[in-house]
Amino acid sequence: MDTLNELLGGFAAAMTWQNLIFAFLGCLLGTIIGVLPGVGPVAGVALLIPLTLNLDPTGSIIMLCAIFYGTQYGGTITSVLLNTPGEASSAITTIDGYAMTKVGRAGAALTLAAVGSFVGGTIATIGLVAAAKPLGELGLLVGPPEFFALMVVGISLLVALAGKSMVKALISGALGLLISMVGIDPVAGAPRFTFGMDRLLDGVSFVAVIVGVFGLSEILSHRKNAETPLVHAPGLRSLLPTRTEWRRSAPAMARGTGVGFGLGLIPGMTGSVSSLLSYAAEKKFSRFRNQLGKGAVEGVAGPETANNAHANAALIPLFTLGIPASPTIAVLMGAFLQQGLTPGPSLFTEHSDIAWAIIASLFIGNVLLLLLNVPLVGLWTSILRVPTPILTALILLFMVIGAYTINFSVFDVFVMIGFGLLGLALRNLDIPLAPMVLTLVLGPLMERSLRESLEISQGDFSVFVNRPISAVLIGLGVLIICSPLLKFRKPKALTEDPEA
Amino acid sequence: MTTESLLTKPERAIRVAPSVLAGIGTFAAVGVYVLASSVGLGLWTSLGPGPGLFPFAMGGVLVAMSALWLVQELRRPSERAEGIDRGLVIAVVVSLVLLASVMDLLGFQLSMFLFLLYHLKLRGRRTWVSSLIIALAGSVGAFYAFNYGLNVALPVSAFAPLN
Repeated sequence: MDTLNELLGGFAAAMTWQNLIFAFLGCLLGTIIGVLPGVGPVAGVALLIPLTLNLDPTGSIIMLCAIFYGTQYGGTITSVLLNTPGEASSAITTIDGYAMTKVGRAGAALTLAAVGSFVGGTIATIGLVAAAKPLGELGLLVGPPEFFALMVVGISLLVALAGKSMVKALISGALGLLISMVGIDPVAGAPRFTFGMDRLLDGVSFVAVIVGVFGLSEILSHRKNAETPLVHAPGLRSLLPTRTEWRRSAPAMARGTGVGFGLGLIPGMTGSVSSLLSYAAEKKFSRFRNQLGKGAVEGVAGPETANNAHANAALIPLFTLGIPASPTIAVLMGAFLQQGLTPGPSLFTEHSDIAWAIIASLFIGNVLLLLLNVPLVGLWTSILRVPTPILTALILLFMVIGAYTINFSVFDVFVMIGFGLLGLALRNLDIPLAPMVLTLVLGPLMERSLRESLEISQGDFSVFVNRPISAVLIGLGVLIICSPLLKFRKPKALTEDPEA
Repeated sequence: MTTESLLTKPERAIRVAPSVLAGIGTFAAVGVYVLASSVGLGLWTSLGPGPGLFPFAMGGVLVAMSALWLVQELRRPSERAEGIDRGLVIAVVVSLVLLASVMDLLGFQLSMFLFLLYHLKLRGRRTWVSSLIIALAGSVGAFYAFNYGLNVALPVSAFAPLN
C-alpha cells in the first residue's frame, strides 16, 4: 500500500505541466538521436545533459530518462525502413523489419515494434516499482563498506564490457579512473594531477569528457560515406497490422519481455544482447520460426520488446543499488550525480519524492512514445533527409554549447576538443570506450567509500568481509572478475555485442 | 607457385603498426608518470590509504597492460584500422579551437555564426541562402533561445557594438 501511495505521489509530481513538457521533449530528442545513425545513445544523452543543468533535479532526470528510452524507440525506424540500425540494440530488427518493408508492410512493422516497446517498457517499469521498496530499504543497512562493495560489483562489469580484448578494456578503465582523479582528493584534500592549473582543482568536467570521447570523436572518425538512400515513410493507412499479425506478435512480445527484463537486471548486459537473444528465442520457440528472416512479425516484435524491457529493467540496478548496467546508464548516473543525487539504496530514503516522480514519469514516457512514434513516422524519416554537413554543423553547435555551459567557461570547450582527439585515438587503436565511462563515473565513488571504510576500521581491511552484505557483494564482484578465467562458454551474442 | 614467391623469404619479421606502437608507448609513459607522481602524493597514511594509492594502482595497470599489449602485438599484430579522413579531423579540430579562442572576445553570436558558415558554406558546399539561414538560427537564434528561454547565459562580446 505504501508503494502504491508513493507511486501515486510520484504521478502527481510527474504530471505537472513542466515535467510533462520535459518528458515530451526528452521523448522527442531521444527519438531523433535514435533515428540518426552515427549518434549513439551514450553521446546523445551526454550531449543533452547541459540542457538540463539549470532545471530542477526531478525535471532534469525525467528528461534524460525520456531521452534514454526514446533512443530505443527511434533506433527501430531506420532498422525497418533503411536496413540501417539507428542504434546497436535495434540491429537484429533489420533482418525481418526490412524484409517486411520490401513487401509493403513497413507500417505494420513499425506499429508492432512500438507496441512491443510499450509493453516491454511498461512491464519492466512495474518490476522497478515492485523492487524499489524492498531494495530501497537496504539503504538503511548500507555504510561505506557496503557501498564500496557495491562499487566493486559495478566496476567488475568491465569484464562484460571488455569486447574483444581484456588488456585494452583495462587500459580504457584505468584511463577513466585516472581522469576522474584529477582535482582535489576527496578525503585528504590534496590536489592531484592538476599541473598547477587552478581550473583543474574541481576536476575535469564529466560532461565535457563524455561529449568529447563519445560525441566529437564519432564525428572525427566519420569515413567518406555514400549519400543516405531515399526513405519513404509509410502512409497512415498502412500502419495498422492485420489481425493475424497481432495474434502472431503477442507471444513474441511476451517472450521478448521475459528475455529483456531478465537480462536488463544483470549488470553488464547491453540492450543488444537482449534483442539478439530474443531473436534466438523466436528461432527456437516460435510456431512460425521457418519464416524468420523472410519478414516474420515475430522477428520485429520480439527483439523490439526485449530491448525496451531491457532499457527499463536496467534502471532497477541503478535506482536501487547504484550500479550502472550499461555505458548509457553510466552517463545517466553521471547526470544524477551532477544534480546532487546519488543513485543507490539511499536514493529512496533521502530523495524518495524525486525517485518516485521519475518512476512515474517512466510510465508516462512510454505512453508518450507510443503516441508520438508511429503517427509521426513521416517526421522522423524526414530527419534522415537532412544533408550530413548540416547535421554535423548542428551537432557541433550543441557540443560547444553543452561543453561551455557546464561552468560557463571556454576552458571546458578545449577539454572537450582534447578528449575528442583522445576518443579518436582510442577508436583507431580499437580500444573500447565503454569501460572508460564506467570507471569515470564509479571510480571517485569507489575511492571515497574505500577510504572512508578504512578510516572507520583504522586501516583494517577485514571490515569488508566481516559485514555480511559487503562480504556477499565483494564475493560476487570477485566471481564476475574471475569469470573469464573459469572459461565459461560465452554466448555468441556477448562476443559479438556491438555496444561493448 | 611462381619463381618470385620461391625466391622471396617468408616474411618472419613481425610488423607492428607504427600507430599501435605509438599508442602502447604513450600509455606506458603515462603509466610511469602516474606511478612516479602518486608516490609523491603519499600511498598510505596513519588513517589508511593516502591520496596516491588509487592513482598508483592505475599507473601500475597502465604499465602492465601496455607491456602485455606489446607482447600480444609482437606475437600476432592486430589488423590495421581503416584510415581516418585527416582533412575532416583538421578542419573540425582547428575550427573548434579557433571558435573557443575567440568566443569570449567576439561573443557567441558572431563567432558561432562564422563557425557555422565555414562548415555549411565552405566545407559543406550548401547554398548561400540555406547556409546563412542555418548559421543565423544556430548563432543568434540559439543565443536568444538559451539566454531567454532556458536562462542559460552564453558569452557576449567584449566589444559592446558586436552584441
